[in-house]
Amino acid sequence: MKTQSVLGSVALGVGIGTLLLPVAALADTTVSPATTPVGGTVVLTSTCNPKSGDAIFRVTGPDRDQNVRSTTAAAGGGLSAELFTAGFTLGTYTVTATCGDGTSLGSATFTVTPVGGAPAGTGPRADNHGLLAAGGTLVAAAATGALLLVRRRRYAVARA
Amino acid sequence: MPTGDRVPRTAVALIALAGVAGGGLLALGATRTPPQPPRVAPGTVTDPATGRSTVPGKPLPRATPVRITIPAIDVRADLVPVGASATGEVEVPPSDRPAVAGWYRLGASPGEAGNAVVVGHVDSRESGPAVFFALGRLKPGDRIQVTRSDARVATFAVDGVGSYPKARFPTDLVYGAGPAPRLRLVTCGGRFDERARSYLDNVVVFATLLP
Repeated sequence: MKTQSVLGSVALGVGIGTLLLPVAALADTTVSPATTPVGGTVVLTSTCNPKSGDAIFRVTGPDRDQNVRSTTAAAGGGLSAELFTAGFTLGTYTVTATCGDGTSLGSATFTVTPVGGAPAGTGPRADNHGLLAAGGTLVAAAATGALLLVRRRRYAVARA
Repeated sequence: MPTGDRVPRTAVALIALAGVAGGGLLALGATRTPPQPPRVAPGTVTDPATGRSTVPGKPLPRATPVRITIPAIDVRADLVPVGASATGEVEVPPSDRPAVAGWYRLGASPGEAGNAVVVGHVDSRESGPAVFFALGRLKPGDRIQVTRSDARVATFAVDGVGSYPKARFPTDLVYGAGPAPRLRLVTCGGRFDERARSYLDNVVVFATLLP
């Protein structure tokens, strides 16, 4: 009975922990915009105190593990860097910031997407060739028939 | 009455019939337009999140999707993985296989957390209407089933359908990440530009995994 309630409160604690953690983490490192067509630029921002030195953003993804040093003091406080995604493999990347004083902040993700829309159609089928061919054949047959008839009548008239 | 007069009368009737029928076929052939995919009013969906009534289902582990079924528009198609071209444009299945749809393998798999993207041709110059011809007819609430390689079937409900000029493709709404398992179906739509041999718009179906 007692064990059960302890387990229950542990589970509750873990539950609250998992609920709270991502919220706190997301407030520390942000990427904007969260998606970019490949070749676009994203801005990485951390809430590090600029006084303790540059922040390092570690960018990991499908085939990449690179560190980006902060270049600018962000408008709302903190430090930021621009990341140019030309040549990036498409997919989702994780960014983790470490402040100049060694404090590791939470992580954020961004997605490098294809450029533009999808070329998913080559146009309606131009399938009227059959109709045109059949119509043409019938008209030609009618014309030939008419010609033969006229000739035959002329021949009959001439004989009479 | 001599027999020579009766035969020509039948012949005249036959000739007239052939002429009229032939002329009719020619007129039909010259004016008939091929079937057009259903139109979606541009910007129909601005925020696919609105109007969603159900809480998304719990995410599934990653697995390759193998088949997609959309009963409302009679779609039953195999899925092949597709990536992107060197210029960063999403790939579509080869045009000689217009009956299969492509799963964008660099994103989430259907049922996994995040947006899974499936692209399919609307039509083909050679064979007419293709796998996603009727996508624009889907309505909120319609079901989409995706069979995965782990034998699970992920069932999604349509949240909305939108049409967007290709130049203003809603990249974030289609490819965005996120905690909820969502599905996006993409095909072509709008006017067909004969000179560029390409459609001007993309039709996007937004859907969410059902619990």
